[in-house]
Amino acid sequence: MKDMKYVAIREMNIGFRNPWAYSFMALFAVFMLSLLIIHTQGGVSGFSGTSGTMLNLALYLLPLMALMLGSFSLTGEKEEGNWELLSTYPLGTWPFLAGKYIGLSAVLLSIVAFGFGLSGSAGWLLGSGFDFLTYKQLLGFSIGLSLFYLGIAMLIGTLARNRWQALTIAVGVWFFTVIAWPSLLIAMLGMMPYLWIKPAITTLTFLNPAELTRLFTVVKLGGGSTLGPEYYKWMIWIRSPWGTPVFAGVMLVWIGAALAAAYGLWERGRGRG
Amino acid sequence: MTRSINKWALLALLVVLAMMHGSPARAEDELMGLQEIVDQANPGATLVLKPGTYQGPVVVNKPLTIRTEGEGNVELINRSQLPALSIDADGTTVAGLHITDGMVKETPTVLVRGHRAVLNGLYIRTGGDGIAVRDADEGLVTNTTIDWAAEGVRLADKGNGVDVFNGHRWRFMDNTIRDVHDGIYMENSDDTRVTGNRIERSRYGIHCMYTNRTVIERNEGSLNVTGAMVMTARQVSVIGNSFSKQSENVNSQGILLYDTHDSVLADNTVDGNRVGLYVELSTGNRLENNEVRYNFVGIQLLDSSSNSIAHNRFTGNVADAQARSSEDNRIIENYWDNFRGIDANGDGNSDISYAINPLFQELTKKRPAFQLFFQSPGMVFLEGLYQSDRDRWTTDAAPLMTPPMSENQIGDAEGRTLTGIAGLVLLGCTGTLFFWMRRRMS
Repeated sequence: MKDMKYVAIREMNIGFRNPWAYSFMALFAVFMLSLLIIHTQGGVSGFSGTSGTMLNLALYLLPLMALMLGSFSLTGEKEEGNWELLSTYPLGTWPFLAGKYIGLSAVLLSIVAFGFGLSGSAGWLLGSGFDFLTYKQLLGFSIGLSLFYLGIAMLIGTLARNRWQALTIAVGVWFFTVIAWPSLLIAMLGMMPYLWIKPAITTLTFLNPAELTRLFTVVKLGGGSTLGPEYYKWMIWIRSPWGTPVFAGVMLVWIGAALAAAYGLWERGRGRG
Repeated sequence: MTRSINKWALLALLVVLAMMHGSPARAEDELMGLQEIVDQANPGATLVLKPGTYQGPVVVNKPLTIRTEGEGNVELINRSQLPALSIDADGTTVAGLHITDGMVKETPTVLVRGHRAVLNGLYIRTGGDGIAVRDADEGLVTNTTIDWAAEGVRLADKGNGVDVFNGHRWRFMDNTIRDVHDGIYMENSDDTRVTGNRIERSRYGIHCMYTNRTVIERNEGSLNVTGAMVMTARQVSVIGNSFSKQSENVNSQGILLYDTHDSVLADNTVDGNRVGLYVELSTGNRLENNEVRYNFVGIQLLDSSSNSIAHNRFTGNVADAQARSSEDNRIIENYWDNFRGIDANGDGNSDISYAINPLFQELTKKRPAFQLFFQSPGMVFLEGLYQSDRDRWTTDAAPLMTPPMSENQIGDAEGRTLTGIAGLVLLGCTGTLFFWMRRRMS
């Protein structure tokens, strides 16, 4: 536990010294603000044009940020030889990975918090801000998305040998889960028998954190009816009091699984080394 | 014989007495059924009901005017399967009655079969249809409130607020209808005017089937499945209505036109619905000056042609428009807030057109499961790639650069302040964190 705390604080130290973190923060904050200014008419409440665009902006930026920061942090340890040094200490893999995850989450979430803080207060001052519930929902969405992708980032950082590899895999994962997802699914499922489509899409959605978080948020914002009659039960279910805890549960399982896989791989590497 | 003469004499006396008091035929006995009072009245007489509770059902088979003394204190209770009030005679007026008819049943609470009926200021609590009009013309329903009375009935099993079949030239003005199946349902009924009504939490607010020249003006609807549903109709005017918050149901719309022709849809406000304006299989309609805002989809056009869609304002919608097989419409000079045009000659219209990508519509028509990708970043990306047959897309030829109407609504400030404060707190926290980390480092 102490080790984990040590690693986490070390990670935060490195993270807040990292110029990448600040450039990501600037990028995120500037985009949030400019979207707010573009949509100055009225306010932002519920699932509307503005919150839809915000949602998509977060979907573009946050996974990429999380994947890059996370995987670079791990591969950096390998490349710079820090890991070899650390392995001489009595430091377990689990405290190391978990500490890394926690430290990186702190850095990433403060980036998100800064972006949201800026747009929330600026929107208020400009008189075209968010409705509080929508703001809360979008913030929750961004946090969830960051944590999900940070989990994947740990796995990528474990798999990749250096930063270049990490970058390649990170961009690949990002493109696959965020941009190419509908195209791929439409192409693949188009060949399947009609009745298989919905179960297949449902299963695959649970495997894609971007889609999962997006759909959860769209329904929570009151936009569930856009999903059409096919998903009526989902809509009811997500909006029930059980929706949020179960989503949090799925998230925990997901991140836990990613970290566990990273742990397994890391341990194997250690055994060989 | 003597008995009947006596009765007539008594009635005449009563009428004379009543006239001397300025109000004819009084209901003497509270426990008396209303039917007996009605039976005793002369055709054309005015009955003024004393405060109290009366027993239904009642059949009015001669022209009468039934009013109440004062306001809101005359209640007609019906516990039978029959309509609480049946109007079979022409030219009957009923005003001010509170009718409670809570039994769930097929029959309506008020059944109108006579022409020129006037129902004014009623308060109806129904377990069936509130007011049903059958083969009767030229009636009027005003200032009437219709509520659903029974508990635990599914929306689909409820009755309609007002249900008109084969009733022409009716007027429905300033009524309030809540929690029913369809607020005002009109079938095979021409030249009706529906104005100033308020309909909430029902399936369809105003529903026209096989009607001509219906006028739907200045009505308000919220939290219904669909505000105004105009199906298989001609020359309907839907003007100045406001429908909002109809987004809960997967089939929700603000205003729907289906198989509707040569109609006008103007100056309406549709706010926060699943689909603002939905037009399917309709031709020759004019959709103008509507305010379409904060809907998930602004306007949806399916298999519709020869419509004119102009000077509407689309703001804050998640998707401006979706269209499929709707090529020959005249779409011009609308304002779309998601579209950034170029206006080189300064006439206020964009020189580049705004084409509505049909990809998503076509995709989800074939496989509804893909509806899940609505406005997902990947879908937006894919739509950007898909550009084939662009000249056949539904296109606004010259979209407006600035909104045509003055902004009449800035969202409520409620909750904004809270967001501002939350934002400042977040900023403060991250600021402190950065500062603290920096200090630790140095």
